[in-house]
Amino acid sequence: MLRKKVIRDLKENKGAYIACITVIVLGLIIFTSFSMVIDNLHLAQTRFYNQQNFADGFAEIQAIPYSEMDHLKKLKGIDNLQGRLVKDVKLVLKDQDKNIYLRLISIDPTQENNINEMVLSQGIPLDRQEMNIWVDNKFFETHQLKLAQEIEIIASGKKKNLRIVGMGKSPEYIYALRTANDLFPTPETFGIAWMPLERMKTLLGTGETVNNIVFTLKPNTDYKDVEELLIPELKPYGLKNIFARKDQTSHLILTQEIQGLEAMARSVPLLFLAVAGMILYIMLKRMVQQQRGQIGILKAFGYTRREIRRHYLSYALIIGTIGGVIGGLLGIWLSFPFTTLYQIYFNMPGLNSQFSLKYFVMGILLSLVFAIFAGYQGCKKALTLQPAEAMRPPAPHRGKKIILEKVSFFWQMLTVQGKMAIRNMTRNPGRSLFILLGIAFTFSLLALPWSMKDLSQQIIFDQFEKIETYDVKVALSHPLPQKKVIWELNHFPGMKRVETRADIPVTLKHNWYKKDVVLIGLPQNSHLYNILDETGHKMAPPKNGILISGRLAKLLNMEVGHSITVESLMMKDPETTSKVTVVGIIPQYLGLNAYMEIEALNTLLGQKNITTSIMLRMNESDIPALQKAYNQSSAIDAIDHQASMLAQIKELMASTSATIYIMLLFGIITGFTVVYNSAIITLSERNRELASMMVMGMTPAEVLSVITFEQWFIGFFAMILGIPLTQLMLIGMAQSVSNDVYSMPTEMTAMSLLYAFLLTSGSIWLAQKIAAKKIKKLDLVEVLKSKE
Amino acid sequence: MAPILVAKNLSKSYQMGEIRVDALKDVDFEIYKGEFIVILGPSGSGKSTLLNMIGGMDQVSAGELYYKGNPLHTADLKKLTLFRRHTVGFVFQFYNLMPNLNTYENISLATEIAEDPLSIETVLEEVGLSDRAQHFPSQLSGGQQQRVALARAIAKNPDILLCDEPTGALDFQTSIQVLKLLKRFCENYEKTVIIITHNAGIAKMAHRVFYIKDGQLTHIDHNENPVPPEAVSW
Ligand SMILES: Nc1ncnc2c1ncn2[C@@H]1O[C@H](COP(=O)(O)OP(=O)(O)OP(=O)(O)O)[C@@H](O)[C@H]1O
Ligand SMILES: [Mg+2]
Repeated sequence: MLRKKVIRDLKENKGAYIACITVIVLGLIIFTSFSMVIDNLHLAQTRFYNQQNFADGFAEIQAIPYSEMDHLKKLKGIDNLQGRLVKDVKLVLKDQDKNIYLRLISIDPTQENNINEMVLSQGIPLDRQEMNIWVDNKFFETHQLKLAQEIEIIASGKKKNLRIVGMGKSPEYIYALRTANDLFPTPETFGIAWMPLERMKTLLGTGETVNNIVFTLKPNTDYKDVEELLIPELKPYGLKNIFARKDQTSHLILTQEIQGLEAMARSVPLLFLAVAGMILYIMLKRMVQQQRGQIGILKAFGYTRREIRRHYLSYALIIGTIGGVIGGLLGIWLSFPFTTLYQIYFNMPGLNSQFSLKYFVMGILLSLVFAIFAGYQGCKKALTLQPAEAMRPPAPHRGKKIILEKVSFFWQMLTVQGKMAIRNMTRNPGRSLFILLGIAFTFSLLALPWSMKDLSQQIIFDQFEKIETYDVKVALSHPLPQKKVIWELNHFPGMKRVETRADIPVTLKHNWYKKDVVLIGLPQNSHLYNILDETGHKMAPPKNGILISGRLAKLLNMEVGHSITVESLMMKDPETTSKVTVVGIIPQYLGLNAYMEIEALNTLLGQKNITTSIMLRMNESDIPALQKAYNQSSAIDAIDHQASMLAQIKELMASTSATIYIMLLFGIITGFTVVYNSAIITLSERNRELASMMVMGMTPAEVLSVITFEQWFIGFFAMILGIPLTQLMLIGMAQSVSNDVYSMPTEMTAMSLLYAFLLTSGSIWLAQKIAAKKIKKLDLVEVLKSKE
Repeated sequence: MAPILVAKNLSKSYQMGEIRVDALKDVDFEIYKGEFIVILGPSGSGKSTLLNMIGGMDQVSAGELYYKGNPLHTADLKKLTLFRRHTVGFVFQFYNLMPNLNTYENISLATEIAEDPLSIETVLEEVGLSDRAQHFPSQLSGGQQQRVALARAIAKNPDILLCDEPTGALDFQTSIQVLKLLKRFCENYEKTVIIITHNAGIAKMAHRVFYIKDGQLTHIDHNENPVPPEAVSW
């Protein structure tokens, strides 16, 4: 019999229970789909790394004899080590006016199990005698290349043809960026090609030397120990950079993406489940109150406490199970397209999804834990009642003046419905708190993604429009004095301004804190690279001292006035270190850099006129000519055109906004649910009052205004509370999202608050509209004939 | 004088799944301005159903019902709301006051939506609760609460006052008080008052008594000399 009661009770309030289930479902969708995507990424990553023998360490050297490798291989802790040639060359493709770069990487086709071996998905093995290459699949697909096709490149100032014989993926370029400054992979302008070592040597004319070393470690070996052994060995050959797998760009970005997802999967679902739990708690508590008489009778019949508890917990059990099953299944289902989406960004084989029983079960358990906890809290009162007590009506509400009534001008202004609403709020503070928190949460859920979208756009556009304001950047192939090139560029048609710049990889040390970054040297009066302070004012690069980014200051525990140690492989004598004083800390959201005046930087390094790139301002129409003229120059590595990079980024950003709309949708649903449920609960609790108002001839709208006034009143304060809540969530988000490539600012944008305000109000309004239908259906006769 | 309420073959039935309950069958009557009418009948006979039809609480199933020539049987929910708003006052056995509004506010809830309300002070004076204006329902006795409910109904200044067992939950003395108020409202303001009761004694106050049985209006008694409420006894 009790089972029938459960089903009828659920049916009677199906709207409210469905809403509660919906919120559980949203939470579980996020939990299940995110967890599965994380697992899929992890699994694909680990398998790919293991199978392709992904390196544990990387070193870039000016030139080292290939014969040294055998000696280095024997160093303690090293499992395997390979010398490679790595060189970016320009590609000549028909009907492409953009600069396209191909990174040539040498491999030894005679060796088995190369480090960072590419997986061939189409094609044949490389012939060590031929000018043949394998290319990465994204580049292959983007440019619609074909096997056996020849492509023309420019290496060391000469044009050469390379034949494509295969294509595939490499663990080193899962997220393929040309430089660490890039934000997104751009297969349109950057590809990777693998070529037999012997032929590459002749192509580049490097003789018997290589310029890149990758190595793997023996189990249980600390990378740091090996690095210490390697550095003195490599220094004589011009060691430029040596780093562990954890700092390898592609690996770093993939790892950080996984960590960000993990943070989301752990926190966001709990918020949704907490909201659902509160809804359930309130509904059960109300039901128990309304069913005091029934509980009393059950007890009088001799039902045990355990039976009654089981009866009321079964509501929670049903809700939790339904929510868990639907949420779990939807989450699993969504993990498929979600994983596919990641295939676009992360280029690795075996990245796909499959049904996961583990997360399905975990989702249901999670949902049940919340539901049963909330349910138990909601109905425990019923258990402690004595039968006789239960059958008596609850103690009457004692009319008492509330504080607001003393603010008489405000009180006078209110309609009677308004007065009722305000007294209701104080009569049921727990409920009011729930509405307050629920709407505040909704508001934040809406403001947060919008803020993040605004901010990331702002950051990127600022970087292009306010900070790096040059039109073209010419990267030089050797960080040497380039007087001739500079003179030439100055006289190039359409040239307006030429500025030099030095990007020097350094290690900054403060006490035991240490960080590898790029120290940027700029001319004192630079117009093409602007260092901005917090207020957006331009700062000159210091002649005495160094400017560091805010995040770097935090990582190194630095303050203005502290002295910092600089080490660099580009020092005249790499054994020495220099000290400089931090003279300022600046906000920097893209990249992680330190800044100095370029001459001062040269002095610090003990060098003269070191320049790594040249920034240009020039007529847009003369840029193609510039590219053409310098395409084949061996002194120049790359020519970056700002406008076309910005266009590419804009395109990519448009595709990521889908996620934002999904989050907005979740926010709207949550807000709707909270408001709708509180309206439904109030309706059923006060149906008698509302019915008598209808009998008096009030329209449904007037009757509803008692409830809506209460909700708008609380909603107004909730939205105000939502502003600091959003700020807190944004700070939390920034902490989990920020990394060396990108740090998120934590200022909310006015637009996002406005949108959140409008959307929250919209969902409140909509929920009330739908709740109003229930009022129209209220059976007056039925309600009023029963005793209170 | 034209009647203000006219019913012709008025019927109401409830559909409950397979079964149809005919709560009211082919009832005919005319009711005039200023009349005091009592409805008598056994439990379940359809009294409340009839009163609810008259008060526009529920839609008519068949037959015709007119208020001052305007059809109520064809009125939609919106029209019925307006009819209740401007024409009818209701009093129930259970007082149905708003627990979180005080006496004064409970009454103003009604006057705010009325076209031509009586002053709240006057009404409170009439029901003898002027000194209880700031009290909440939980601070009032049952009889006082019923008087507030009555005041609330009267304050709208309705043409028709409908009471479903208004004294059902009250003791003898308090009941007499409430009846006096009803009578006074009927006479002083020349309003129609219709009361359902199980008390044949109360019927002596009425101008006419409607007898209901099994959903039918079996007959109507005319009372040439209605007695004053003080003389009523049971
Ligand atoms: N909502 C309803 N659904 C089904 N049947 C109903 C409904 N309301 C009333 N009835 C039926 O209509 C008949 C008349 O009911 P009504 O309430 O008018 O009786 P009553 O004369 O007022 O009785 P009482 O003196 O006990 O209040 C009864 O048989 C009742 O069961
Ligand atoms: Mg009745």
